[in-house]
Amino acid sequence: MTGKPLLVLDRINSFYGPVQVHFDLSLTVPEKAIVCLLGGNASGKSTTMKTILGLKTPQSGHVLLEGRDITGAPTAEIVRAGISVVPEARRLFGEMTVRENLLMGAYVRADKAAIAEDYDRVLELFPRLRERLRQKAGTMSGGEQQMVAMARALMGRPKLICMDEPTMGLSPLFVDRVLELIATVNKTGVSVLMVEQNASMALRIADYGYVLQSGRIALEGPARDLLADPRIRTAYLGETIE
Amino acid sequence: MESLLSLPWFDFTISGVVIGSIYALMAVGLALIFGVANLINFAHGSVFTVGSYIGWTCAVALGLPLWATVLVVAAAGGIVGALIELLAIRPLNHQSRIAPLLATIGVGLILDQIVHIIFGANPRALPVSLPNLRFSIGSGTIGAIDITIFVTGVISALALYLFLFHSKLGMAVRATAQDGDAARQMGVGINAINMTVFGIAGALGAIAGLLVGIYYNSIDPNASFEIMLKGMVAIVIGGMSNVPGAIGGGLILGLIESYGIALFGASYRDLFAFAVLLLMLLLRPNGLFARAHAREAEPMTGTFVTRAKPVRIPAWALVAGAVLIALVPALGQPYLTQVMTNALLYALAAMSLTLVAGTLGLISIGHAALLAVGAYASALLTMAGLPVALGLVLAAAITAVLGAALTYPAFRLRGHYVAIGTLAIGEIVALVILNWTSLTHGSMGLYGIPPLELFGIPLFSTNASYWFVLALVIVFALLQMRLLSSHLGRTWRAIREDTIAAETYGVASNYYKGLAFGFAGFVAGISGAVSAHQFSYINYDTFNLLTSVLILTIVILGGLGNVTGAIVAAIIVAGLPEVFRTLAEYRMLFYGMALLLLIRFRPQGLMGSD
Repeated sequence: MTGKPLLVLDRINSFYGPVQVHFDLSLTVPEKAIVCLLGGNASGKSTTMKTILGLKTPQSGHVLLEGRDITGAPTAEIVRAGISVVPEARRLFGEMTVRENLLMGAYVRADKAAIAEDYDRVLELFPRLRERLRQKAGTMSGGEQQMVAMARALMGRPKLICMDEPTMGLSPLFVDRVLELIATVNKTGVSVLMVEQNASMALRIADYGYVLQSGRIALEGPARDLLADPRIRTAYLGETIE
Repeated sequence: MESLLSLPWFDFTISGVVIGSIYALMAVGLALIFGVANLINFAHGSVFTVGSYIGWTCAVALGLPLWATVLVVAAAGGIVGALIELLAIRPLNHQSRIAPLLATIGVGLILDQIVHIIFGANPRALPVSLPNLRFSIGSGTIGAIDITIFVTGVISALALYLFLFHSKLGMAVRATAQDGDAARQMGVGINAINMTVFGIAGALGAIAGLLVGIYYNSIDPNASFEIMLKGMVAIVIGGMSNVPGAIGGGLILGLIESYGIALFGASYRDLFAFAVLLLMLLLRPNGLFARAHAREAEPMTGTFVTRAKPVRIPAWALVAGAVLIALVPALGQPYLTQVMTNALLYALAAMSLTLVAGTLGLISIGHAALLAVGAYASALLTMAGLPVALGLVLAAAITAVLGAALTYPAFRLRGHYVAIGTLAIGEIVALVILNWTSLTHGSMGLYGIPPLELFGIPLFSTNASYWFVLALVIVFALLQMRLLSSHLGRTWRAIREDTIAAETYGVASNYYKGLAFGFAGFVAGISGAVSAHQFSYINYDTFNLLTSVLILTIVILGGLGNVTGAIVAAIIVAGLPEVFRTLAEYRMLFYGMALLLLIRFRPQGLMGSD
């Protein structure tokens, strides 16, 4: 792995009641990199997202952003520190306009001039949204909604965007578009942590990958190596990696 | 037709719009809170009452001008609302979603009692000097009061619109209402948003209280519940969390009531509201203005509070307890025995409710209606000459059938809607009793109900009726426990845990719900019937919302579904305040605090739930 570490999860153990979800989970997202966290159902992916955003406090272990401990901090503070999110299934504010959705992405910021700057920058990146600013987000197509979700995340002027299954529920055609969008976002200098079930696709654009299985990192490595690894397939058929 | 046309329709329209704008003010607050916190705020009517009394203090006691009064009332209402959120709702963040609803019932009781303590129980006048303007339009007139109320309503709506659509905080409120989790992930502080909407709702509700006081030149410390229900009907019409819908719903309700009064008379006023409520819940639960693809009815099942293992009490201890309770008359204190009789009658009612609310998971806030049906049935039958024993049994049977039939419309409802629906059904029963004068003597009530006796053996001595009621409690408690451990009990619990899953296994859930309400109706009917013979006088208000809330408090204290818990809790809740006279005076405060503290600190009840 190259680059300075931006986000570090250090030996996280988390529980829901008596059930342990994470077992010494450690991972690193370097600056300007795309990292994907692969895992099937109930592997602990969503809890990982919640832990990073401070929505779930781990029993032990630390979340570090640029070396600063943000474990269990209020979400507003974490967002302000530079982590934005594209939630699972996008979760746009469907009854609100595209413009309002974008502004919600900048909710924690108070620097009006800089927000206006980012607003223009984001619309340059996604010119299609400029024509749709007054449209209700819920009335757009799935691909357009994904665009809004990413634009909204960028409005927080993040150093890292966490994406929860960005390709879920999209047609194969759109999946390619979304991967392109992720690459576009990444080129602006933002790191991406992508949680995905769709391993082969995620690894195509990622720099580095982790495979999460029953709350443990079962496998990790440069995306290229993982893509070639036959064990990736077995992992997704639910078999245990030897 | 001639007479219909000659009615002053214009005036009825004006009063409908005026009252409707007050309902709208109430409804907007309820809708905002429902949207953001997913909660029906049963304390909202009490904020209204508090507002009307703060208005009286400003306008009459301090002599402030109207505009200043409105501002003070709004500010005070806002503070009360925000405090409700901070003290009663926020601590329940991690509890099940119906817990805060019950907490708001407790808060409402407490606020009402505080108003009672400070201002007394009687209504008082709220004269406000307005320019003596009257505009004649055709055959009708509009007065300065009408205009004041309407304009205040419009200004409030405009202010709210500006806040929601042209401020950052307002945008966050809307975002939270649409998707709370997503808003949280954007860094929106949910607590701050909740407090904001409770504050806004409080301000609008308090203003509504002031306006109603001005309109009728009267404020009433007992108005809370009724006005809350009106607001709730309005949001059900408008679509629960839909703010413009709430305004529309309020106006529609105001007009329906006004025209209804024109056609049928004022005593039917509330009946329209509840009939509309039930119809809406059944036919268009997403509201009048919802689009076809509107959100599904809330997926919350009856699951309620943290379930805890029930405390198993050995049989010898139960027997010993029963013997001890049976020995109460031996203490030679007739007053205590009477209090205990009353507590045991509550125990019967609580056993009945714990079956539907605990075992079956349908939180009913209208259970007093079943007591009323039983009481009236037995009273009327025995006054017509039937022996009391037969009257009791028939009354219980009638309540069983009516209980199942009346609540049938609520069977398809879930979560909060069950609470609203049962509440509406309960109110409809009370209103039918009030209006069916030829049968029930209306507001006069029934006098001279024969005292308890069984087959010619009089049971009206204090001790005899005590033992009789105790025997009933024991018999039905054993029967209910037997049922709970049978196949039937398991089926009820399965329906509670997951109705849809149970149905996919071939459980006809409506049939089993009917059985539960039938059994519960029988027990509640007996309780009501015996009460009627004890009191010898009943009226439509003998078993009211406070009774329902009290029974619910007992059930929660005892542990949902727990039969012995219900009995123990009935003795604590219905018995204790009567023994300590000071508590009886502040009964509502006691119940409210009990409910609030229970939900906060021991939601699984004293004895655990089953």
